[in-house]
Amino acid sequence: MIRRRWAGYLFLLPYLTLFGAFLLGPLIYGLVLSFMQYDMLSPEPAKFIGMENYSEALGDAYFWKSLRATTLFVVMSVPITIPLALLLAVAVEAVNGKRQMFYRIAIFAPSVVSVSVVSLIWRWFYNKEFGLLNALLAPLGVEPIGWLNTPLTAMTGIVVMTLWWTIGGPMLVLLAGLKQIPAQYYEAAAIDGAVGWRAFARITLPLLRPALLFSLVMNLIGAFQVFGQPFILTGGGPELGTRVAMQYIYQTAFQFYRLGYGAAMSWLLFLVIAVFAAFQFRMMRER
Amino acid sequence: MNNRFSKLEIIAVLAAFLGIAPVVLMILTSFKPDGEVVKFESILPKTPTLENYRHIAANPEEVPILRWLFNSVFVSTSVTLLVVTVTSLAAYALARVQPPGGRVIFTLSLACMMVPGQILLVPLYMILNKLGWIDTPLALILPHGASAFGVFLLHAFFKSVPRELEEAAAIDGCSMLRIYWHVMLPISRPVLATLAIFVFLGSWNDFLSPLVFTDSVEQFTLPVGVALFQSSYASEYGLTFAACVICTLPVLLLFAIFSRQIMAGMVAGALKD
Repeated sequence: MIRRRWAGYLFLLPYLTLFGAFLLGPLIYGLVLSFMQYDMLSPEPAKFIGMENYSEALGDAYFWKSLRATTLFVVMSVPITIPLALLLAVAVEAVNGKRQMFYRIAIFAPSVVSVSVVSLIWRWFYNKEFGLLNALLAPLGVEPIGWLNTPLTAMTGIVVMTLWWTIGGPMLVLLAGLKQIPAQYYEAAAIDGAVGWRAFARITLPLLRPALLFSLVMNLIGAFQVFGQPFILTGGGPELGTRVAMQYIYQTAFQFYRLGYGAAMSWLLFLVIAVFAAFQFRMMRER
Repeated sequence: MNNRFSKLEIIAVLAAFLGIAPVVLMILTSFKPDGEVVKFESILPKTPTLENYRHIAANPEEVPILRWLFNSVFVSTSVTLLVVTVTSLAAYALARVQPPGGRVIFTLSLACMMVPGQILLVPLYMILNKLGWIDTPLALILPHGASAFGVFLLHAFFKSVPRELEEAAAIDGCSMLRIYWHVMLPISRPVLATLAIFVFLGSWNDFLSPLVFTDSVEQFTLPVGVALFQSSYASEYGLTFAACVICTLPVLLLFAIFSRQIMAGMVAGALKD
């Protein structure tokens, strides 16, 4: 019997190897790297430099600017995504049978499209000279608008596009949460006179809290790592207004090959994400 | 059946329309000649043309889209096979054989599921570089093999399988490997399918790994190829959209066939914790 249990490791071996080599290993290696000067382009060998990368990051105006752009994206997108996903989940749940399946499929469909295709479609929508949006607005007498030409409208454009692309996931999670609430609760509440909004506030919202918390935290973690959408749609411009942290890390590490510095900034970004996620967990738990 | 449209259903209809419309527009626009794209007058192409597709097919050195398609199919299929094999073996061991330390491994995997993947990018690049795998398909396949999500999903399912099934097989003298192969895998087909489709989609749409871990044009997968190709054809939207359609069609087909499994995979992570 003992031998049988140890034999379990034969089954685990492939997983553990890959897990160690490509997950746990890089996690630790990344931390070590963040304390080193490791520039692939310089002839100097890599060396340990303590906290220098971190102090450089904290004094790096570009890093702060990229964190501001990331935070702006998070603040603009997350508070719209989750309530809207909830509204859609409620709307879809109210429909029965085949039609519900159709709505679910249609709303989730954008999520299966790759980020580059999504960005290229929307790039055409937003184009100033021959974009769809301006073409639709022209009959109303609106002069062509350069949607991606100012930092704020460009970021708004990225947020709207991301909303279109990613709303389906949280919608499905919340829909599954709604379906788990027993119908008897609503029946009992109806006898006590709680219907409509009151039933929603007293029964739906409290019972949906786990699903809401999950979608909120997942959405937040994803939003802080935003990269592909601005990278393809705006390339980080105009005036670096949409250059998010991940893009700055990408450029530092893979265009200037300052890998140690890139690793340090990755850990700082991770720290920011962890703080926000923990904060949300607490807020949702306490209420 | 209730055929009345409620107020809420109007919201659902609107959302469904907005969800599908851009994809349909992309497909329609790919059949427009460039002049019609630049001067938008109607949604349907007035003079539908296959010219955009022909141009792409006729210039494989300029736009090696078939090569990218092949790369994408190869990489995504390999990742899927790898994940399903590796995680089903691991989940079986953790759920049933329960080796010493199994709990620690399981908890550690779950914890790593919460770690944002992108912070691994730089160290992963260095490791792949040392292995000499940068700019090869290996760099896009093996790092995705240890899917904590897969272990988590299959572990929950294996736990729910009645033990009597295996015990009967064990009495018949089956080894663990044969029980895994002849008992566990066949009854887990639906959940394995969910995992496989989900992993395939994720791999197909992965943008960051091929962007960072490949250098040469012929190693690109479709999402990176299409995005970078676009920068040299910035204003030729007809061409760009034809390339986008080629990149999207396989996924849309998969989604049309397996929408239930894909959507089930989407919520699987949320409901279990």
